[in-house]
Amino acid sequence: MAGVTLRGVRKAFGPLQTIHGVDLDVGDGEFVVFVGPSGCGKSTLLRMIAGLEDVTAGEIAIGGRVVNDVEPADRGTAMVFQSYALYPHMTVGQNLSFGLRMNGNPTADTERRVAEAARILQIGPLLDRRPKALSGGQRQRVAIGRAIVREPEVFLFDEPLSNLDAELRVQMRVEIARLHGELGTTMVYVTHDQTEAMTLADRIVVLRAGRVEQVGRPLDLYDDPVNQFVAGFIGSPRMNFLAAESLGGGRVRLTGQGGVEIALPVGRGLAAGQKAVLGIRPEHFEAAGQGDCDLALVVDVAEHLGATSYLYANTKAGEPVVVQAGAARSAQAGGRVAVSIPAGRAYLFDPDGLRLA
Amino acid sequence: MRRRTGTAYGFLAPYLLIFAVFWVWPIVYSFWLSFLATRQLPWTFRPAMTWGRLAVDPAFVNALKNTLLILVVQVPIMIALATVLAVLLNSSLLRARGLMRFAFFAPVVVGEVAYAAVFRLMFTADRGIVNKVLEAAGLPSVDWFSNPTAAMALIIMAVTWRWAGYNAIIILSGLQSIPDDVYEAATLDRVTPLRQFLFITLPLLRPVILFCVVLSVIGTMQLFTEPFLITNRGGPGGATETLGLFLYRQGFTVLNFGYASAVAYTIAALAVVISLLNLWLGRERA
Amino acid sequence: MTSRSSRRFWRQVGLHAVLGPLALIWLLPLWMMLVFSTMPENGIFSPDIELLPKGQFWANFQELQAETGFLRTLFVSVVVALVTTGLSILLTSMAGWALVRYRFRGRWLVTALIFGTLTLPYFVVVIPQFIMVARDMGLQSTWFALIVPPLFNSLGVLFMRQAFSMMPGELFDAAQVEGVKEWQIFTRVALPMAKPTLAALAIILFLASWNNYLWPLLIASDPTMMTAPVALGTLIGFTRVSWAAIMTGAVLLTLPMIVVFIFLQRFFMSGITAGAVK
Repeated sequence: MAGVTLRGVRKAFGPLQTIHGVDLDVGDGEFVVFVGPSGCGKSTLLRMIAGLEDVTAGEIAIGGRVVNDVEPADRGTAMVFQSYALYPHMTVGQNLSFGLRMNGNPTADTERRVAEAARILQIGPLLDRRPKALSGGQRQRVAIGRAIVREPEVFLFDEPLSNLDAELRVQMRVEIARLHGELGTTMVYVTHDQTEAMTLADRIVVLRAGRVEQVGRPLDLYDDPVNQFVAGFIGSPRMNFLAAESLGGGRVRLTGQGGVEIALPVGRGLAAGQKAVLGIRPEHFEAAGQGDCDLALVVDVAEHLGATSYLYANTKAGEPVVVQAGAARSAQAGGRVAVSIPAGRAYLFDPDGLRLA
Repeated sequence: MRRRTGTAYGFLAPYLLIFAVFWVWPIVYSFWLSFLATRQLPWTFRPAMTWGRLAVDPAFVNALKNTLLILVVQVPIMIALATVLAVLLNSSLLRARGLMRFAFFAPVVVGEVAYAAVFRLMFTADRGIVNKVLEAAGLPSVDWFSNPTAAMALIIMAVTWRWAGYNAIIILSGLQSIPDDVYEAATLDRVTPLRQFLFITLPLLRPVILFCVVLSVIGTMQLFTEPFLITNRGGPGGATETLGLFLYRQGFTVLNFGYASAVAYTIAALAVVISLLNLWLGRERA
Repeated sequence: MTSRSSRRFWRQVGLHAVLGPLALIWLLPLWMMLVFSTMPENGIFSPDIELLPKGQFWANFQELQAETGFLRTLFVSVVVALVTTGLSILLTSMAGWALVRYRFRGRWLVTALIFGTLTLPYFVVVIPQFIMVARDMGLQSTWFALIVPPLFNSLGVLFMRQAFSMMPGELFDAAQVEGVKEWQIFTRVALPMAKPTLAALAIILFLASWNNYLWPLLIASDPTMMTAPVALGTLIGFTRVSWAAIMTGAVLLTLPMIVVFIFLQRFFMSGITAGAVK
């Protein structure tokens, strides 16, 4: 088993630089998730670890060994692809054993490994079928099985669940978490879905435009985002952002609310008149009058899910606000509601998006 | 993707070797040849004997005229026929679809020599089946091989028979890529089938038809076997002599490689110019 | 409702009234080829219109065989077509694979060169090819001369490149990560997945080689190395052999291709339309 270390890793396609110097340490046995919007470079970074893309500058080390010039097959990694990449003309069993057979692995050992992978993933009965005859979830298991038989030191997952429907995605998510518990192997996992990141990761790496925005444990990112991007990306529904303006002395006025004010200690650093953004998660609103600053909202759409309700509403200035309201069953589209922001739950960002703390 | 120049050329090497030896080098070599007087040894640089001769050689001018005539008459007829065939063969009303398609598509697999032999025999002036049928219908029989116009018509018919189905296959595949709902919408709008053909099908087929035209132009510029075998080496008296046949004569009967190369490059240049002209005429007008 | 179905009926009648006779005319040359090949020579030129086969095929063929050794030329044709097809498929699929799978120096140039020749008239290269093979190499009337120069074709590369680029690249990446050698990825993963394309390409290449006329005419005039179309071509217009005998040769050249066409029509169609789809 081994950890993965990235030092100043850059990637350029001609003049176009897509990865701008990434430093990262993935511990042995750790489950690290790269998350970010599409085009942020997370898949490229993973493919560089796998050896499918050249490293333009910097160093990638696996288990302490620099692998920049090591062939993909010799890096001790195994990869699970977004499209599963199952060979359509081979049975499940042949798919699992193909790489081992091509490399002259002893037959008995190959069979043992295939049987073991089939046991772990419960795909024994499928070994003689072709990929075409499998469901999406079964294909996904086979793709993972193909990685397992390599007995790698590091598993690499490239958006493995994005082709599954919602229900299966949850199911496979649990499976992968179980697998990590069972194998204890280092795993690097790429996704654009922050829920997957939150539920699976020991640590999350949030990427944007080829740069690391923040690295941390899921709840640390949730509680303590370093900037507006991370704050907006982690958490679902995403954090609400309201235009604000500093009044000096730690008081902030919500400009879209016609002068509603709130006292936020973190705003002390801002000079009077300076613009800022106030962030508040949908689940942190309180009933009107109970927080530190009331907002009057017009409900656009109300989604009542039973256990909870989501109100998609607008402020007077037309800023969209989502409110998670456990008890607001009565709210209807077109209706008015008042909610309150508790100062302790509010975040404040400067105009560059950096969080003020 | 990782840059792997070595592996790539490993896969490309055998193909590129053949390509370099038997295509790239000949392309260069024949261009050089086209400036050499090759009637006797040693070959000397005398463009007047090759390029200079083209304009004043009546046999070349005759072959050029014949080729352009075939181009202007045969290609439009064949493409129009192929388009109509494709539309009709695609009709949902058609019965015996397999047999019908076979009738028009089968010529595609027939070799030039075999079909030349049959056409030659069928059109024999004296008791050929075509003339027998004409006479039985009360029409005058035609002297297909000694009447220049009839010989030219025969070449045009033969080429059309051989290639109409080929073009129809391509156009048919173009037709099948037009979504059905376009026609369903038109039908709901009370557009008649003929108007659907004119205002929906034809415009949507334009790129495919242009592709067929370009292919046919290149093919016609190289027409060789039909006049060589059906009308007996471009007969009567050069009436069906084409550029391809003229080149064959100069290159491989007289062994005047230099002059033949100049003809070859003329054919290539004409093919490019005429194809581009077609593409320009048929371009999408914004 | 009646008017609607009757309009449909008349439309259908009209369609068949146009297409039916035209189809018969189109079938006539092939049918007559068959009929002529079974007639005695005097039957072909009798004053009556004969449209049904007789029983003389075997006798006519014996005449052809005795005069020209036609079976030998058929053998040459079969060997040339098979070997050319096999080698050409190997070369073009390897080249197509390289163009899809790898980023490499000169990729743009190689691609442009190969496809630049797609529309180049063959006449531009045939003269130097002839000079090289016949004069410089002295290989006239050899298997090499018949097989190697025609191996190059850009359509095959175009075709295979298209097939490979439709396959998800992750499939090959997956094999690569598993330590499968590039040659094995090509032969064990890419080629098996390209089977329908390979079949279509094989048929098109075989047909082209089988019917090839100009190059074999130029390069293999020795009777033992003549291909069947060339041998048959030498008979047309001369009275050495009867027309009925020539027709048996034409039938033997055509019939196998017709049979292949009937049973593998799907591959033919995709082979012919491959060039049209960009």
